[in-house]
Amino acid sequence: MKRRTLSALAAIAAAASFVFSGSAWAQGKYVHANNSGYDNLDPHVVFDVGRAASRINFYDGLLRWVDNPPKMIPWLAESYTASDDGKTWTFKLKKGVKFHDGSEFTADDVLYSIERMLATKKGASSLFLPIIMPGSTKAPDKYTVVFTLKEPSAIFLSTVPEILIVNSQLVKKNEKDGDWGQAWLAKNVASTGSYKLKRYDPAIGFVGERFKDHFAGWGPKAFDEIEFRTVLETNTRVQGLIKGDIQGTDGYLPYDQILRLKEAKNVQILEQESMRVFYFNIHNGRGPMSDVHFRRALAYAFDYDGFVKDILKGAVSRNAGPNPNNLWGSPKDLKPYTYDLEKAKAELALVKEPIRPITIGTLAGFSETEQAATLLQNGAKKIGIDIKIESAPWPVIQTRMQDREKNYDMVPLWKSTYYVDPNNWVGEMYASRYIGTRNTSYINDPEMDKWLDEALAISDQDKRSVLYEKAVTKATDQAFGIYVYNTRWYGPYAANVAGIRFSPIGSGQDMRWAYYK
Amino acid sequence: MKAGWRRGLNRFASDRASALGLALLVLLLVAAIFAPILAPFPGDVADFHTANRLRPPDAVNWLGTDRMGSDLFSRILFGARITITIAVVAVGSAVLVGVPIGLVAGYYGGWPSNLLMRVSDIFLAVPQIVLAIAIAQTLGPSIENVILALSITYWPFWARLVFAETRSLKNEVFIESAIALGASPLRVMTLHVLPNIASAIIVRTSIGMGATILTAAALGFLGLGAPPPTPEWGRMIAESREFLPEAWWYATVPGIAIFMVVMGFNLLGDGLRDFLDPRIRRGAGVK
Amino acid sequence: MRRLEMILSRLVWFVPTMAGLVVIVFLISNVIPTDPVKVLLGENATPAQIEAMRVKLGYDQPLWVQLARHFHDIVSGNLGTSIYSQRPISEDLATRLPATLELTLTAIIVSVALGIPLGVISALKRNSLLDHILRVVSVSGLAIAAFWLALLLQFFFAMKLGVAPLNSRIDGFGPTPVTGLMIIDSMLDWDMESLHSALSHIALPALTLALPAAATIVRFTRAGVLDVINSNHVLYQRAMGLPPGLIVWKYVLRNALISTVTQIGLIFGVLVTNAVIVETVFDWPGMGTFAVQSILQSDHKAIIGFTIWIGALIVIVNLLVDITHSFIDPRGSR
Repeated sequence: MKRRTLSALAAIAAAASFVFSGSAWAQGKYVHANNSGYDNLDPHVVFDVGRAASRINFYDGLLRWVDNPPKMIPWLAESYTASDDGKTWTFKLKKGVKFHDGSEFTADDVLYSIERMLATKKGASSLFLPIIMPGSTKAPDKYTVVFTLKEPSAIFLSTVPEILIVNSQLVKKNEKDGDWGQAWLAKNVASTGSYKLKRYDPAIGFVGERFKDHFAGWGPKAFDEIEFRTVLETNTRVQGLIKGDIQGTDGYLPYDQILRLKEAKNVQILEQESMRVFYFNIHNGRGPMSDVHFRRALAYAFDYDGFVKDILKGAVSRNAGPNPNNLWGSPKDLKPYTYDLEKAKAELALVKEPIRPITIGTLAGFSETEQAATLLQNGAKKIGIDIKIESAPWPVIQTRMQDREKNYDMVPLWKSTYYVDPNNWVGEMYASRYIGTRNTSYINDPEMDKWLDEALAISDQDKRSVLYEKAVTKATDQAFGIYVYNTRWYGPYAANVAGIRFSPIGSGQDMRWAYYK
Repeated sequence: MKAGWRRGLNRFASDRASALGLALLVLLLVAAIFAPILAPFPGDVADFHTANRLRPPDAVNWLGTDRMGSDLFSRILFGARITITIAVVAVGSAVLVGVPIGLVAGYYGGWPSNLLMRVSDIFLAVPQIVLAIAIAQTLGPSIENVILALSITYWPFWARLVFAETRSLKNEVFIESAIALGASPLRVMTLHVLPNIASAIIVRTSIGMGATILTAAALGFLGLGAPPPTPEWGRMIAESREFLPEAWWYATVPGIAIFMVVMGFNLLGDGLRDFLDPRIRRGAGVK
Repeated sequence: MRRLEMILSRLVWFVPTMAGLVVIVFLISNVIPTDPVKVLLGENATPAQIEAMRVKLGYDQPLWVQLARHFHDIVSGNLGTSIYSQRPISEDLATRLPATLELTLTAIIVSVALGIPLGVISALKRNSLLDHILRVVSVSGLAIAAFWLALLLQFFFAMKLGVAPLNSRIDGFGPTPVTGLMIIDSMLDWDMESLHSALSHIALPALTLALPAAATIVRFTRAGVLDVINSNHVLYQRAMGLPPGLIVWKYVLRNALISTVTQIGLIFGVLVTNAVIVETVFDWPGMGTFAVQSILQSDHKAIIGFTIWIGALIVIVNLLVDITHSFIDPRGSR
C-alpha cells in the first residue's frame, strides 16, 4: 500500500513538473495585454479608449493621428480643402487602395461609412450627428468626397480620423434585416487596415495578421502578427511582461507597478506627457456648489502634494486648469490652487447658502478616484464640510452625471482625448450646448458660452486660442472644477520592442510602426 | 474500556474545538466593542498620512499601513464592528422572516404552503451570491443594502428548514395530544413546536453567521459593499490587490481576520450541534 | 417506476421554477437606477439618440409589457442582446459555458480525488495525529474566503515562486475548439504546448475551488466510513484477519462513493457560488466573470440570462445526481 502511495505521488509530481514550466512565443509576433474586453469589433460601435486597438489596427480613416504632440497626417485621403464659410469640406482620396479582399477602395465606401454611422447612432456618431445631415455627403467622382456641414465647425477636421472606413460591398452582402451589417461586423473585419483579422474570441481577444498590401507600405521589420488579449488584472499584465509572455500593455498602470517594472531587465518604460486631465467634476447647478466661495474652499482643501507626490509618487504633472498643460489654449501663467486650509476657511466664511454634507461618486475599479475622494474628504472635514463617498461602476456614474437631479455633487475622473482640440476639454466641460451630455458641471454661463461658441465657429487658431485662454482662466479662478493633474504615459514594453509611436489618441497601440530590434 | 477512553478523548477534542470557537468570537466581540480604546490610532479609520503609506509591520504600526498611510491594526479592529453588524442583522432578519413562514407553512400544509415552498425553491435554485450581487448592485453600494440583499436571499433557507422540521414534528404524539386537548394553533406552534426545533435553528444560525460573513466579504471585495474609507474587511482585501506582491501584509491581515471569525462561528456551530442536537449525534453512530 | 415518477415530477416543476426565477430577477434588475440605454450609447450620446434607442429596445413600454415580451423572447430562446458587447446574450453565455464547466468539473475531480482517500484514511486512523490534522484542515477549508484563498495561491505560486500563471485560461487562443474544454481539445489536437498551458492555467483556480469542496467531502466520507465500520463490526474484524487493505478499501470505498454522489449536487452548488468570485479573481473567461461584468455594467438582460442558465444548470445537475443515486443506492430512491 505504501509503495502504491509513493508511485501515485511520483505520478502527481511528474504531472506537476509538466504543468509548471516555461513557454515561448513565435518570432515576429507581438502580444499585448489590454485592460478592457474586445467584446465587439465594429468600428462604428466602439468608441472608448480601452478598446482603441481594434479600431486603429484594423481600420483606416481619411486622416490619422500620430505622435506627440499629436499631428494629423493624410491617410486614406490625399488632401482636403475647406470652403471659406467653413461648411463645405472636400477630400481627395488616394487611388488604388486595396481592401483586404482585394477590391478597390472608393468614395462609395466613405459615403456608406458615414451614413452607417449616422444611421446606427452609436460610438463616435455623436460627433457628427449635430453637424451632418444623413444623405448630405456626396461623391462627385470615384475619388472625391464632399461633406456639407449644417454649421461651420472648427473641430470637424480634428474629428475626421474617427470616420473609419468599412468595405461597403462586403458589409452590404452581410446585412441582415437592415441592420447595416452590425451583427456581422461585430466579429468580422472589412477594411483596408494595417492588419487582417486572423482569430477572434470576445472573451479572449483578437489576432491580427499583417496586411502586406496595405497602401501605406511597411517597414522592413514590422510585426507579422499582433495579438491583443484581455487581461483585466493589473498584476497579471505586469507579471506577464516581466516573464516575457507578453510584449506590451497599457501605459496608465498604477505608479507602484511602473516602479516594479523599471527594475525588470527585459522591460522598458517609454515616457510621454499625455492629454488626460484628472479633475473633480463639480455639479455647479446645485447649492452650495453654486457658490463660488464654497467651490474655492474645496479647491483649497485638497492635498495636491500628498496626492501627486506621495500617492502617485510624482509620476504625473500638476495641471492648474481644465485643459492639459501640453495643449494650446491655456494661459502660460495660470496659477494652480494649493492645499491651504486657512484660505479654505476664509472662503467658507463667505458662503451664504447653508452648508450641507456633499456626496462624491467614485469609479469602482479605479482605485485612484477613491483615494483622491478620501483625501478630499479628509481635508474638507478639517474645515467643517462633511463628505460622503459612494462608489459605483463607471456606467452608473456616467448615467447619473447626465441627469441634473441625480448627479453626484462631485466626481473625480479623467477627461481623455477623443480629438485634439481645446473644445474636447474646456469646451465640452463648460459650454451650455453640451449640458446633459458632456457638460456634467451644469455650468450655464453666458460669458463662457460666448467665448466657447465663437471659438467653434472660427478657424483661425490664434484667435481661438485667445478665446480658450479666457475660458480656462475663468474656469480656474471660479473653481468650476478642482483640477489636479495631467497624466503621464508610462508605456511598458519588452526591452526589444522599438518604433512605438505614442499619440494621446490610441495611447501607443498603433502597432504598424513597431518592430523588434 | 478502551472505547470509553476514546470517546472521552473525542468529546474533549470536540469541546476544545468549540471552546476555541467561542474564544475567537469573544475576541471578535471585544475587538468590536473596545475598538476605540484598543486601537493605537483610532483616528485612522478616516485619517491619512500619505507620507507613511504602505509601511510593513513595525513597532509603530503593528500590522503595517495601507494605501493611504492609515494603521491597518486600528482599521481591522473597527472593521470587526461592521462584520458583526452585518452578520447579526442579516441572519437575524432572515431568521425572523423565514422561521414564522416555515412554521405556519409546515403546520397548516395545503396549497398555500406549497406555494410558499415553491417560492423559496426559486430562490434556492440560484447560488445566494448571484442574487445578492444583483440586489446589492441594484440598490447601490452601502452596508445597509448589503444587509438587505443578504436577508432577502437568505430567508428561504430558514423557511425550508423550519418547514421540514415542523412537518416531521406534527405527527409526534405530544403535538397531536396538545391539539386534541384544544390548544390553539398559535399556542401549539410557539409553545410546543418552536422549542423543539430551537436547537436546530440555533446550530444553523451559528454556521449561517459564518457563511454570511463570507458572502458579505465577497460583496465588499467586488466593490458592492461599504464605501471608502469604511474599514470593511472584504473591501480592504480588494484595495490591497494592486499592491501585491510587495505589500503582502495588506492583503494578509484582513483575510486572516475573516478566517478567524468564520472559523469561530463554524467551530461553535459544530460544538453546539453535538451538544444541542442529540438526533444528529445519535445519527452519526447508528443511522 | 418510482424513478420515472420522480424524474417526471422534477421536470414538471422545472418550468414554473424557471418562470418564477425570470420574474424575480426581472423585477430586481429593473429597479436598477442606471439607464441601460445611456450606458449603451456612451457619454457622447445626444438626447435624440437616446430616445430613438429607448424606443428601439422597448424600454419606453410599461414594465408588464416588457416582462411579457421578455417571456416571449425566452420561450423562443432569445435572451436579448448584451448591452455591452452588442451580441446575443445566449451566444455570449454559450461561448463562456465550456470555460465554467471545465473549471468546475476539474475542481470536482480534484476535490473527489483529494477528499475521498483523505476521508477514508482519516476514519481508518481515527484519532491519530493525521486524523486531527485533517480535521483541522477540513474545518479551516470551509472558513476561508474563496477570493482570499485565490489571492494567497496567486501570491505564493504565481508571484513569489513563479511556477504558475497568475490567471486567464490559456496563453493565446489555444487549440481548435471542439468540445470547448481546452484540456480535451488540446489532446484531440495532440497539441502538447496548449495542453501544458491549459493545465498550468487551470491549476490554481481549480485548486481554489476544490479545497473547500474537498473539505466537505473529507468530512462526509469520514463520517460515512465510521458508520460502515461501526455498523459492520464483524465484517471489519474479518477484514482485519484477511490480507489487509484490499477488502476494507473495496467495501469502504463503495460506500464512500455513494455518499459522495449524494453530496455532489450540494458541492456543485458551492462550487458554482465560489466560481463566480474565483473566476473574477483569475480572469477566467467563464460565466462568472460574465455575470460580474454584466452586473457592473447594469446589463439587465445579461443578468437575467445568466441567472436562468445557472438556475437551469443547477437544477439539471441535481436531477442527474438524483437519477444516478437511485441507480447505485436503491434505498435512497424512496
